[in-house]
Amino acid sequence: MRLKIIVTLSVLAGAILAWNLYRIFLQVPDEASQGAIFRIIYFHVPAAITSFTGFYIGMFAGVGYLLRRDLRFDSIAASINEVSLAFATITICTGSIWGRIIWGIWWTWDARLTSYFVCLLIYFGYFMLRRAIDDPTTRARLSAVLSIFACVDIVLVWKSIEWFRTQHPGPVLEIRGGGGMAPGMESPLWWNFLAFLMLAAALILIRTRQEGMRREIDALRRYANAF
Amino acid sequence: MKFLRRTLAIAAKDLRSEIRGKEAVNASVSFALVILLLFSFAFDLEPAVIREIAGGLLWLIFAFAGTLILNRSFARELVNDCLDALLASPLSGAQLFLGKCIANYVLIVIVECISLPVFVIFYNVVPQRLALLFVVMLLGTWGITVIGTMFSAMTVNLRLRELMLPTLIYPMLIPALIGAIELSRVLITGAPLAESLFWFRVLVAFNVVFTILALALVEIVLVG
Amino acid sequence: MSPQNFNFMFYGFTVAWLIIIVYVISIAWRENKLRQELDRVKRMVEENEQANTRRQ
Repeated sequence: MRLKIIVTLSVLAGAILAWNLYRIFLQVPDEASQGAIFRIIYFHVPAAITSFTGFYIGMFAGVGYLLRRDLRFDSIAASINEVSLAFATITICTGSIWGRIIWGIWWTWDARLTSYFVCLLIYFGYFMLRRAIDDPTTRARLSAVLSIFACVDIVLVWKSIEWFRTQHPGPVLEIRGGGGMAPGMESPLWWNFLAFLMLAAALILIRTRQEGMRREIDALRRYANAF
Repeated sequence: MKFLRRTLAIAAKDLRSEIRGKEAVNASVSFALVILLLFSFAFDLEPAVIREIAGGLLWLIFAFAGTLILNRSFARELVNDCLDALLASPLSGAQLFLGKCIANYVLIVIVECISLPVFVIFYNVVPQRLALLFVVMLLGTWGITVIGTMFSAMTVNLRLRELMLPTLIYPMLIPALIGAIELSRVLITGAPLAESLFWFRVLVAFNVVFTILALALVEIVLVG
Repeated sequence: MSPQNFNFMFYGFTVAWLIIIVYVISIAWRENKLRQELDRVKRMVEENEQANTRRQ
């Protein structure tokens, strides 16, 4: 049953992405000032929203573990956070390439890229913490608390870096992508977002199952070593 | 009342043992002085530019030196199973945490009070509004202390504790550090304070939010 | 489509797809490793059980 869901989601996601790719390349006209590179927004923004959504749902999964003490919640939380981390990496890489074209530099400490980088660092720390703890219940407990701190902190990080950059404008102005797009150009964005969500869901389901296998292995090992 | 008394008992215990041993404060102050020296090689600039970046340098020094003290905070209880004894006592996790926070806070402020005059002398930067700078130091240090003590509790039983604590807390501390750095910069260079009042609010919000969050979650972290 | 930025747009898309593909491959590799380990541990448990029943 589960396998069928995963396969359906992946195929649907793939189909939407392929169809959207066609639309993006052929149907959407070039943006006036940026040229062809503008189309990267169709990957950059959906990846960003997917990863942020994932991090916050991961936090709620962690809270779910703390309330229920069921390790399955922890598996879900770890899987969601890992997939979101992958999408966050995509966001930063595509954002950096976009910046390279528009402003000529590979990296600029503007508000969005910096906040995203901080988010990335916090979740690298999350996975480092998970790897350092052997006991599953302690690992679940501590990573849940860390993800709560992380998600509360990310709001503050975002706002403070934004205000910092307003006071100290960098060499370039912010990417104002998304606000004020012509209506015809916006819909591929939302379709891509839907496709990314489905892809993320499929990957999360696979990862959760892998975490379950990992737990089964640990339990069998303990059982084997008990005799 | 009992809450406060127990919290202060823990704080007094930590401070007393630190005053007798003076290990952490010595190491922290030495580290701060070494960083000051290294910065003098890294940033060999004219006085006007040094004034601009002084706020940033100062808070980097405070954050790095403070981590040494924060690391020891829960780690020192591992010897002889003291942590288990503390957790088994009638103390709640919040009282233990708050007591350690207060002790760490006092120690870090001591380190800062020693580093700041040295900084002023080395870099020839005289802050215009010293009293306000001190207020900013107190506010910013509480943010560092709360997050640092919380994560010290989280990483206490890990092998790579000393490595993980800085990696975990510095990204989290960014709002507090930016706020403290901006306010310090404004106070040191003598720029008008009015437009930077936002950062006071950020610091206070950071402190309040994370103190409440830490007090709520520390029991889960320490006990389970 | 203006040729001006076409190359970099291509790079951008490639990077995005590359990251997704690398991640999916890493998941598949992990799945493989986990399955092997699971089979190995299950076999170990069975052998232990047989040894125990034989001893009894």
